Amino acid sequence: MDIFLQQIVNGLTIGSLYALVALGYTMVYGVMKLINFAHGDLVALSAFAGLTIYTSIFSNGGTSIVAVITVFLFTAMIIAVVGVLLERFAYKPLRTAPRLSAVVSALGAGLVIQNAIMLIWGPNMKIFPSDLFPSTVYDINGVVITFTQFMILGLSSILMIALYLFINKTKMGTAVRAVAINQDAAQLMGINVNKIIMIIFIIGSALGAVAGLFIGIYYRGITFDMGWMYGLNAFVAAIIGGIGNIPGAMFGGLVLGLFNALISGYISSAWAETFTFTLLIVVLIFRPTGILGETVAEKV
Amino acid sequence: MMSRTNIIALIFLIIMGLYPLFADSAWLAIGTTFLVFSVVAFSQDIILGRAGAFHMGHAAFFGMGAYTTAILNVNFGWTILATWAPAVLIPVIVSFIVISPIIHLRGDYLLVATIGINIIFLQILENDLFGLTGGPNGIFGIDVLKVFGYEFFEQTHMYYMSFILLGITLFIMKNLDSSKFGRAMFYVNKDDVAAQSMGINIRYYKMYAFAIGAGIAGAAGSMFAVQYSAVSPEAFDVLQSIMFFTIVLVGGSASLPGVIIGTFVMFVLPEIFREFETARYLIFGLAMIIMMILRPRGIWPVKFGNIPSFLKKGKK
Amino acid sequence: MSKYLLEIKNVSKFFAGLTAIDSLNLKVKKGQIYGIIGPNGAGKTTLFNCITGIYTPEKGEILWNGKDIKGVAPHKIAELGILRTFQTIRLFSEMSVAENIMSGRHIKSKQKWYNGIIHTPAYYKDEKYNWEKTGEYMELFGLSDYATTPTGDLSYGIQRKIEMARALAAEPKLLILDEPAAGLNENETQELAEIIRKIQAMETTVMMIEHNMDMVMNLCEYMTVINFGAWIYDGVAADVQNNPAVIEAYIGAEDED
Repeated sequence: MDIFLQQIVNGLTIGSLYALVALGYTMVYGVMKLINFAHGDLVALSAFAGLTIYTSIFSNGGTSIVAVITVFLFTAMIIAVVGVLLERFAYKPLRTAPRLSAVVSALGAGLVIQNAIMLIWGPNMKIFPSDLFPSTVYDINGVVITFTQFMILGLSSILMIALYLFINKTKMGTAVRAVAINQDAAQLMGINVNKIIMIIFIIGSALGAVAGLFIGIYYRGITFDMGWMYGLNAFVAAIIGGIGNIPGAMFGGLVLGLFNALISGYISSAWAETFTFTLLIVVLIFRPTGILGETVAEKV
Repeated sequence: MMSRTNIIALIFLIIMGLYPLFADSAWLAIGTTFLVFSVVAFSQDIILGRAGAFHMGHAAFFGMGAYTTAILNVNFGWTILATWAPAVLIPVIVSFIVISPIIHLRGDYLLVATIGINIIFLQILENDLFGLTGGPNGIFGIDVLKVFGYEFFEQTHMYYMSFILLGITLFIMKNLDSSKFGRAMFYVNKDDVAAQSMGINIRYYKMYAFAIGAGIAGAAGSMFAVQYSAVSPEAFDVLQSIMFFTIVLVGGSASLPGVIIGTFVMFVLPEIFREFETARYLIFGLAMIIMMILRPRGIWPVKFGNIPSFLKKGKK
Repeated sequence: MSKYLLEIKNVSKFFAGLTAIDSLNLKVKKGQIYGIIGPNGAGKTTLFNCITGIYTPEKGEILWNGKDIKGVAPHKIAELGILRTFQTIRLFSEMSVAENIMSGRHIKSKQKWYNGIIHTPAYYKDEKYNWEKTGEYMELFGLSDYATTPTGDLSYGIQRKIEMARALAAEPKLLILDEPAAGLNENETQELAEIIRKIQAMETTVMMIEHNMDMVMNLCEYMTVINFGAWIYDGVAADVQNNPAVIEAYIGAEDED
């Protein structure tokens, strides 16, 4: 039972990270109907950028809350800028092109970011310092939660709630939803679609950046090509939840995180992806647009 | 009278036919792989460019052909010639089993599901599920083709075998395009609602595309295994699938010259720029973006209007 | 053999609680030109989508020669001989006119599965025959000059014709036209009416939705008027025009527009 509960905690931790990344995919997909294949590589870039900021600014050691907050804010800002540039140069010129052209452009952009990371930071694994967060461990009836896990769960929840409120309760959030439903109509109603798409990329990239930093802090080892696998898992999470649907991405992330942790805990991590994609395919067979996705009947 | 396209095709075939006379062994190997990859790209194009199914797991079918030949030859002592039929049939059968439950998925959902199939296939290879695939190292020591005591072991032999396979593939593509089946795929691709209202069974034609595509990819895989006399999992991972997918779109969906050009651009060019080593994939990624922006329908887009000449009266 | 080619019996179709079609009944005789009229949003296209298998109605029966075809897949409906055009033109727009019309020959073509890989003498015969048929339909609609032109490059009026030629190339028993005159000018509408008469002469039954009342009254032998998915009236042209319920429905609808 303890093992089970422990895997639940681990699963929720990974799941929160998937959810943060999945939100980036789902928001872009909701508005542009594009799988942003470069998103996972932005997450990886965030981990590397964060590491450099931390070591170069706070090289004399000693964690402070200020240091950690600075790293998170700076990195999120940088990644948000990269995300906006990505949209501006790789996707915007292709908005009216056949859909798959944008997919190829996204794959190309992913390749660019991945190889840029490799050229800047080298092909070998980099190790995150262990002192960003205190190494405090909480033991609740035999179930261990580290301070890092606690922060991941807490901050992810806060960010997701904030995003949910932003999308559903603010005027700009309403505009985002309007653009997702019908870009042309939204444009006619005076919504600046370009601005909304920019906001989507800022938010999505910043959330991905937070996830990237957490991945570095939690797993410590980071590689230039790690974005692909995290991205793919997060994208699967978004689809399981119902792509384009924000609560769906959160739900899908948590489901996939729990599922992964239980498979690794009870079966074998060597088959993790096989189980992940089997889950995805089974979900899609029964719910072709994901669990919370709407089944849209095509208008004839 | 030959059309411009046919003249270009003829020139291409002559150049490729004479290529081994001028190439050293390293470039001959690249030339052989180029031919094999073109075959795989054509088979990908049947599914993606013709039937319009977003399929990003084609390396799995390619790999199934390669591993079928490798396993039957190395583990069971079959001759290479004897492995050809199973190398084609097994991917076809597997495509029926794994694709038919997901064939109804729309666009991107199918794309991700097929990535999944590729990843599952790769984990089966790496984890050596049946003790046959040799795990992460793969299988080596694959025989050469022997027919009536004659051994085809030279690089040039490999090259011309691949050349013949490409010829057969082009023959099939031509036949497909001028049949009810090829046309039905286009109709499904361009407007599935209209297509089914014309009596076209969408499922059937998409599955047909997958089956033919898987079979041709399997044949190419068998050739690939013999060329390198070894197979290993990483040659058939999702990145390879992405390459085949990209080849079709960069070259031009459903365009025969387009796919050849796409294969050249995506496979041969990076080989030429191998000396730039580390930066080459960065430039390559940039090139993918720029190419799509400049030519969103591919370098050589398809032209429709493949109709008998007696119908082409007054051209307007 | 049923007396009617097509019978709609108590058909209802709901969308998320909304009633799109409300226990509708109608009967189409062989050889008729049958009109379905009613204000916008009355459920006319939904009815056509139910007949052609795109939607499955929740209630009722759709009898084709007396056999229920409710819930049958769209491609099988086409194989039975029910072909249609669309309110918003749905052509394979990058493909040539000839290739578009050839899609109508799909269900008539007898090519075997292996003909997609290798061609046989039977294939050549079949392929030639169907292209010739395609040529005949292009001729009939005056489209021969555009054989190789991508349909997307042609005018709206010509596109409408191609869509009809495509459906007709399948030699349907029942041709369903969804607002064939929409977007056409006076001359084109006139020409369309003549084509529809020709189609009738080819012993094809026609069902059509149309807002151009002159054309409907002129062409259709019998018609059903629906509003909010429900039957209002059916009868011959003269009766329909003078029926108070019909007039009411149309005037009521004008306010909404």
